[in-house]
Amino acid sequence: MTKETSPVPAPMTATDAPNVPIHLRPARSDDVPALVGLLLRLKRLNEEFDPLLKVRADAEARATALLTQDLADPKALVLAAEGIGADKDRVVGIVRAHLRERLFYTPENEGVILDIYLLPLYRRHGVGEYLLRETVQALKARGAGIVTAEFPAHNEIATKFYGKRGFRAVTLVHAKSL
Amino acid sequence: MVQAEPPSRPVPRKAEPGPSPPAPPATEEGEGATETLGRRSIELAGFYHGKIETVPSVPIRSLEDFALWYTPGIAAVSRAIEAAPERSFDLTGRWNTIAIVTDGSRVLGLGNVGPEASLPVMEGKAMLFRYLGGVNAIPVPVRINSPGELIETVERIAPGFGGINLEDIASPKCFEVLETLQERLPIPVWHDDQLGTAASTVAGLLNGLELTGRSIGQIRTVLLGAGAANLVTARLLVTLGHDPHAISLVDQRGILHAERDDMDELMLRNPWKYRLALQTNGGGRVGELADALRGADVLLAASRPDPHAVSADVIRTMADDPIVFALANPVPEIWPDVARRAGVAVVATGRSDFPNQVNNSLIFPAVFRGVLDARARSINDEIVLAAARELAARAHDRGLTAEHLLPTMEEREVFPHVAAAVATAAVDAGVARVTRSRAEFLAIAQDRMSRPARLIEAIGRSGLIAPMPPSTPLPSPSKP
Repeated sequence: MTKETSPVPAPMTATDAPNVPIHLRPARSDDVPALVGLLLRLKRLNEEFDPLLKVRADAEARATALLTQDLADPKALVLAAEGIGADKDRVVGIVRAHLRERLFYTPENEGVILDIYLLPLYRRHGVGEYLLRETVQALKARGAGIVTAEFPAHNEIATKFYGKRGFRAVTLVHAKSL
Repeated sequence: MVQAEPPSRPVPRKAEPGPSPPAPPATEEGEGATETLGRRSIELAGFYHGKIETVPSVPIRSLEDFALWYTPGIAAVSRAIEAAPERSFDLTGRWNTIAIVTDGSRVLGLGNVGPEASLPVMEGKAMLFRYLGGVNAIPVPVRINSPGELIETVERIAPGFGGINLEDIASPKCFEVLETLQERLPIPVWHDDQLGTAASTVAGLLNGLELTGRSIGQIRTVLLGAGAANLVTARLLVTLGHDPHAISLVDQRGILHAERDDMDELMLRNPWKYRLALQTNGGGRVGELADALRGADVLLAASRPDPHAVSADVIRTMADDPIVFALANPVPEIWPDVARRAGVAVVATGRSDFPNQVNNSLIFPAVFRGVLDARARSINDEIVLAAARELAARAHDRGLTAEHLLPTMEEREVFPHVAAAVATAAVDAGVARVTRSRAEFLAIAQDRMSRPARLIEAIGRSGLIAPMPPSTPLPSPSKP
């Protein structure tokens, strides 16, 4: 059974936030332009790993539509990372995840981390770790019994990042252009 | 767009002691001269068939001596080294022999010409090593397909050498290769395009700062070009106390900053540049060179040979009495006289026909002399900076002027001092196999660095090396 989920994750408490230069909160519709920029940076990064991940010319319009749709979808989770101090109110990172039902396997509720991106200046200092932890918690709170992450096969940085935190490859997607 | 400067003309200089430097040649003349030199180089290369040869360094009185220098006597030497491999530094020429390793991927300004075509350049470098540093250098051009193969190749040949000089390897591959080999090998590994250029730049800059009454902790510096040399120069400046926020790097895409949309690509392809993008350019300046230069004290240009890469107009927006190094070869990013007319207090270039030549050759022979004399296990940035500081101090002792910022190549007595500073720094860093006082290192370096000139003079007197043939006259212009 899929647990009923709220479209807005519970706000994170101050005790959850380590000493990181960001503040994580649910994304709002006025974040969309900034989030689109971050999402496109991530897709262009993916392009570096594989020619089969060539970014479409209309990617910006697609990203805008996708994020707008996600914000209204109870099965989607979009978080915005804001800077702090002088960078307050500036969106410097994005997390996008979906809840999916696994039809044949248990646990049946899967939280899929589709996109995590943080501007370079805000990386390190354990920020990535913090983003992942908060995302996993939010997905768990919405009933996920398993969490997965999707990223390019040749992204060794992501492989290492998730591997260190207990993730391993479960399903492989092999591609061939036609 | 800023207006192009009128063609370069020598400006009258104030009367100064010492020989006045030659007037800068006009661009076309310079190109003509390069062409003439090229023609002559091919002619001579075909006449001499190579620039170096190996010569025995022991007496051979008769063939019977071979029983000592070779089998059977030599087997005992082999066994001694087998028992204690470090003795290879004592019982063979390893202590004074280095490999000049290249994959031919970035030879001079020619680009990726391949290993065979790199050989004449590597032979030339070997000759400089011998003549200036008293170092036996063996050219080793290799054919490789990846940085990993280059690393593996050098690791495999290292047992025969006391040091490795990486040469003309493309950036950013050169960073990975140098860093990995420095970690893995028990001998010093050097990449001249990174360390040699950066060290001589830093040496000149230290004196430029003194001349203009600045301290490194208070200046703002712009580096034009983010290739091997400038990435290392930036790192060395920070080590010397330069505030990283007060450094801006500028490449073809403008100011390097953490918000640029090629940052992720850099993270994957050039982590050295990526790290500097995160560290430098405090205050988040964006835009072009002109935006970076406004109010800056120092410009260190190591980019492309284009005399209009830096205009007089942007120079005028710098702080008062700025320092400008235009190091592209063969044509600097701005002609020195143009820079001076725009108010620059100290100008340096990479050319020997202008004052203040910032030149690798001021550094690399002495660095290798020093690390080989100390039988160093490695070279770190402190050793590199010791060379830069000593070079600067030597120019300082002779009297600093805006036209005498660094020793020239003619001031040969300087180099053993740099070698001794390097050897001493290796001892201080705990990487030397041989410990001597600085005075002893100096005496050793003086002897070893002066020997090649004596040797070559003696060979010249003997007539064993043919004198240079006259150059053949230019062919008459061919009919269209």
